[in-house]
Amino acid sequence: MEGKKQKLLILGIIIGLGFMVLPLFIGGYWIRVLSSIFMYAIITSALNIIAGFAGYAAFGNIVFFGIGSYTTALLMLRVGCPWWAGVIIGAILAAIFAILVGLPLLRLRGHYFAIATLGINRAVEQIVLDWGSFTGGGKGITLPLPNMEIQNFYAMIYFIMFGLLILTILTNFLIARGRLGYALRAIRDNEDAAEASGIFAPTCKVIAWAISAFLTGLTGGVFAYWFSFIEPAMVFDIMIAVKAFVMMMLGGAGTVLGPVLGAFLLELISETVWGQFLWIHMLILGIIVIVVVIFIPRGLLELFRRKISLVALIKNIKYQSV
Amino acid sequence: MQILLNGIFLGAIYANIAVGFSLAWGVMDVINVAHGTMIVVGAFVTFFLFKYCGLDPFLSIPFSMFILFLIGYYTQKYLLNFVVKVGIFLSLILTFGLDLVLINVVLLIFTGDYRSVTTAYSGTNFQLGNIIIPYIRLAILGICVLLTGLLQLFLTKTRTGNAIRATSQNRQAAEIMGIDVAKIYSITLAVSAALAGACGSLISMVQSFTPFEGGYFIMKAFIICILGGLGNVYGAIIGGLVLGVVETVGATIFGTGFQEAISAIIMILVLIFMPKGIMGSKNK
Repeated sequence: MEGKKQKLLILGIIIGLGFMVLPLFIGGYWIRVLSSIFMYAIITSALNIIAGFAGYAAFGNIVFFGIGSYTTALLMLRVGCPWWAGVIIGAILAAIFAILVGLPLLRLRGHYFAIATLGINRAVEQIVLDWGSFTGGGKGITLPLPNMEIQNFYAMIYFIMFGLLILTILTNFLIARGRLGYALRAIRDNEDAAEASGIFAPTCKVIAWAISAFLTGLTGGVFAYWFSFIEPAMVFDIMIAVKAFVMMMLGGAGTVLGPVLGAFLLELISETVWGQFLWIHMLILGIIVIVVVIFIPRGLLELFRRKISLVALIKNIKYQSV
Repeated sequence: MQILLNGIFLGAIYANIAVGFSLAWGVMDVINVAHGTMIVVGAFVTFFLFKYCGLDPFLSIPFSMFILFLIGYYTQKYLLNFVVKVGIFLSLILTFGLDLVLINVVLLIFTGDYRSVTTAYSGTNFQLGNIIIPYIRLAILGICVLLTGLLQLFLTKTRTGNAIRATSQNRQAAEIMGIDVAKIYSITLAVSAALAGACGSLISMVQSFTPFEGGYFIMKAFIICILGGLGNVYGAIIGGLVLGVVETVGATIFGTGFQEAISAIIMILVLIFMPKGIMGSKNK
């Protein structure tokens, strides 16, 4: 077992180093594609903390992305902060917001929580839209352009996103191995039983959501700096959250590397599909979603780990159908 | 008074959006995210029949109901029945995939242009005192009442309806009593989709629509179900009327921009303080 773990660690370091030197060899297009894949991987892994470990389907998690990017944008534009300060303050604000809404909302279970988060996202988006004098409203908001060569700028974003991804994976790893992870999984499997065995569920859930919000907020801030133009429909887009959900399911919810794997796969697929089939890319994405849900509901990682055969998969479908 | 009446007309449509959605949610614990797009499909059926066959939009309601009934039945039979038992989120994500497929198919057939159905009597109305009552809105109110009445009769008086209610109360017990749960589930989603079709036909007469309008309807359906409580027909009606009146009155006081924010905030408050909805459903 120890040897296997060391091998995995070495493999991980090699892949990591590979991504570090990759920008030297690939063109601008692929650097941007990879940056956006990293971004989705971070959002998905952050979602995994609350939805994968704790089983609370935070469909409106993208609200933290929006808060992070709007805080960054407004701080840079109205106060003149440097971008990194804006990103960090935005992430802290997102985490505080998660704690404030989490206290009442995390008492809800199942569908109700999912819908409440959708409502929160909608409400914040509408407030940003209607408060046009301060936030720019529906016209969006343009950030000051970075003062450097455009290639260098994209390379910088690439490395920032990559660093954030490493940070997110480490956070996931520490949570999964630590007390919090055990508590969250116990809550997911049976909340009443978890509370009966001495886990104070509300605090655990709120902490998990705040961490998730912090990471999502960080990404949102970097996204705003990267695109240098944001509008409510873009950063509060519920499609991003749903896509992150599918990525999480595809790779394996509640695992450390599953969401990252899912994000890489789905984003690469959708990037190729976009280019090849402009008219039916939603159709193809939809079919992928349906197939994933029916055939591999526990995710790809579980598939590799158990070496499940096709026969076992079909049996599984029979078992879970009505 | 005029504002209140407008609110009630709007509420009737909202109630109609939510009834089918609430049925699927209450009986099977399936959140059908594709319900909004099913409404859009119904609207496009009416649009197609009106434009190319010259059929009156009110007469096209049975056609759109029939087509959506088939879509709903086979979706449940060949896709959703495989995951319903496992967990609520799998079915939610599956219907999301279905939503993407439906949107894309409608987009391929009808393109993304704004469409609307305008008949000869579209703008006509009559006055009662100083209140203006448009004929179409009144007819829509009537049809909404008729449809929900029929649904209630179906659920309480027929054998299939009783089987649906039994399954929603306790699936295993229903199975032991010899009810074919898989078939009942298929029929439930079919009825729910048929209601969406009728709703789409009605909506096509009062507002313009594109293939992407589904998300707007689904958001309303969520809010109404939360307001009224799940799985009962009356809850959806009450929720729809309350939302319609609150939105219209709120828009008059605060301006139309805040309409959406108001309804979202009301939903969150109701979730926190009255998680069972205004009506307080009994069996859920």
